[in-house]
Amino acid sequence: MPSTPNSEFITAPSDQRRQQVAEQLRAFIDADKVRIDEESLQGHGCDWTKLYKVNPLAIVFPKSVEQVQQLVRFACDEKIALVPSGGRTGLSGGAVASQGEIVVSFDYMNQMSDFNAVDRTVVCQPGVITQQLQDFAEEQGLYYPVDFASAGSSQIAGNIATNAGGIKVIKYGMTRDWVAGMKVVTGTGELIDLNKNLLKNNTGYDLRHLFAGSEGTLGLIVEATMRLTQPPKDLSVLVLGVSEMSAIMEILRAFQNRMPLTAFEFFSESGCKLTTAHGLQRPFESETPFYVLIEYENQSEQDAETAMEVFEYCMEQGWVLDGVISQSESQAENLWALRENLGECCAPFTPYKNDISVTTSQVPGFLEDIDAVVSQAYPDFTLVWWGHIGDGNLHLNILKPEDMAKEEFFEKCQAVNKQVFEIVENYQGSISAEHGVGLVKRDYIQYTRSDADVALMQGIKAVFDPDNIMNPGKIFNS
Amino acid sequence: MKILVAVKRVVDYNVKVRPKSDGTDVDIANAKMSINPFCEIAVEEAVRLKEKGVATEVVAVSLGTKQSQEQIRTAMALGADRGILVETDTELQPLGVAKCLNAIIAKESPDLVIMGKQSIDGDNNQTGQMLGALSNMPQGTFASEVAVEDGTVNVTREIDGGLQTVKLNLPAIVTTDLRLNEPRYASLPNIMKAKKKPLDTTTPDELGVDVAPRVQTLKVEPPAERSAGIKVADVAELVEKLKNEAKVI
Repeated sequence: MPSTPNSEFITAPSDQRRQQVAEQLRAFIDADKVRIDEESLQGHGCDWTKLYKVNPLAIVFPKSVEQVQQLVRFACDEKIALVPSGGRTGLSGGAVASQGEIVVSFDYMNQMSDFNAVDRTVVCQPGVITQQLQDFAEEQGLYYPVDFASAGSSQIAGNIATNAGGIKVIKYGMTRDWVAGMKVVTGTGELIDLNKNLLKNNTGYDLRHLFAGSEGTLGLIVEATMRLTQPPKDLSVLVLGVSEMSAIMEILRAFQNRMPLTAFEFFSESGCKLTTAHGLQRPFESETPFYVLIEYENQSEQDAETAMEVFEYCMEQGWVLDGVISQSESQAENLWALRENLGECCAPFTPYKNDISVTTSQVPGFLEDIDAVVSQAYPDFTLVWWGHIGDGNLHLNILKPEDMAKEEFFEKCQAVNKQVFEIVENYQGSISAEHGVGLVKRDYIQYTRSDADVALMQGIKAVFDPDNIMNPGKIFNS
Repeated sequence: MKILVAVKRVVDYNVKVRPKSDGTDVDIANAKMSINPFCEIAVEEAVRLKEKGVATEVVAVSLGTKQSQEQIRTAMALGADRGILVETDTELQPLGVAKCLNAIIAKESPDLVIMGKQSIDGDNNQTGQMLGALSNMPQGTFASEVAVEDGTVNVTREIDGGLQTVKLNLPAIVTTDLRLNEPRYASLPNIMKAKKKPLDTTTPDELGVDVAPRVQTLKVEPPAERSAGIKVADVAELVEKLKNEAKVI
């Protein structure tokens, strides 16, 4: 078990305490939107990480900005910490309430309004689900491009607070690039309006970007105006079989030199075995150590020609062994599933997961170093790699051997952690590319951020949240 | 053994089509076009028969505008040996298609014709049957299994309540159902090779076929929108509504 944050709340809050606080909360929040039953506490008190003891004081579902402000002021007065909660699909323990916090869930603030066709923006309440926004954009003939496997559950404010990335970053960037403006309630209960949806606004510090990736430590995002864009046209998907890691970067370069890509993903043969065991069709008969998935807009016959030429060139160079291209949208979806279903196909093996990044050009050496260290130390572990390799972002998954106890496995993985992060540090990479720090990586942050860096972040938190009630103990000790 | 396989260019399965504002047709300008999924299954079956050594040649034929070449190229990338396009800008209907295919059969003398049971745009499910009548060849429709042996083909058909196997003398016509096979992806090396495979073009006129539409579309309109659901307070209200409003119990 990873260590839980230092805290005066060592034991679970008593039922009596829970009743008492619920009573106080019900003074300004609808009675049925304050929950202290065990199912709600356990269900809403954590994210996808199942590593921590879940121990919230209460779960609260505010329905308005005013209620959020009242809640924050109440928390300040009572010195009770708050944990914001979105779709709970995080993988870093950022939304875990393990020390008697009140969980603030935005499930009931999930409306969209004020669509502006000229600015191409729409105002979202924090609990709007990513897919809801994607579908809304589609109805308007537009597109919300931030996309990832959990888009059906994750919520907009959670996406912003974790600066979610996903599968289209190579073309469209991260969530922060799509926030035109937002309203936040800081740790003092003050409501502030950040950036006012302006495209150009050079009036000092852009606080909006502090909140993107803040993991709830500065305040609560209560409204976000999201930008939409032109939808891509006729996306074609290629899956190529690759002989070795170093070839992948050559392939990326070859394609990017000739055409803009909307995605460049990769996965290992071990991953392909998992998804095909769950019923997906192999892209082609031969097995290759790695696979890349390339997506581009097929706007004219010329685009298809170009893709084919680059493919031929990559074959001639010996970088690519085989490849397929989607002939319909259904095939494009099925090829994407080879990559996107990996997370769920790994889940039954209680995998150790890591989300790390380096500059794109360094990926092959970095991956080979980690692979060598882990396979040498633990020859019986199965490593499954995938990731947004065009962004330098790798997801390392180690599957638990069937005959190994969970505790022993995680203990060994803790040792792996240290070795992996030392390699990350050597490459000046990031220990968390897109999943955030939360609790899972808090004690490793020094591998990516300097002490001075962390001290400045702590200072910034103190300004927004003087009473230290906003998700304390996440990202760094506070 | 020679197999003729028919492929149709249709609006991609995933595209949501909407009627044109004047109600004359559906609006498919700029829509993504693909090979009809049932035709794709037909191509896959033909190629598998060739890979098993049962067939020696697979000929893909399509009818329609010049762009239908793309779907023939796809079929050739999947393994068809050559292609024939019957080029026309006329709106094609099952009878016209069946007559053209019949003319191609007269020229090519295939031992087996494999085609989709229907195309997902018109949903007619008529062409295979009409071709059977015109060519006087036996037909095995809705195939979920195809086995060729000694001058005959056993076709297992998906029918109401189960499966039926019919034995047809070759030459014969088979129309494919969804469960016949799972088509492979088009491999890039094979797409490159397909560019060099021969693709002949002809026209309905050259085949001596009149493809003028016999059926006229009067109007196209979207289905009525569903009204929003309601929440009931309790079981009693639910039962009351099911009984008196929905009248289902």
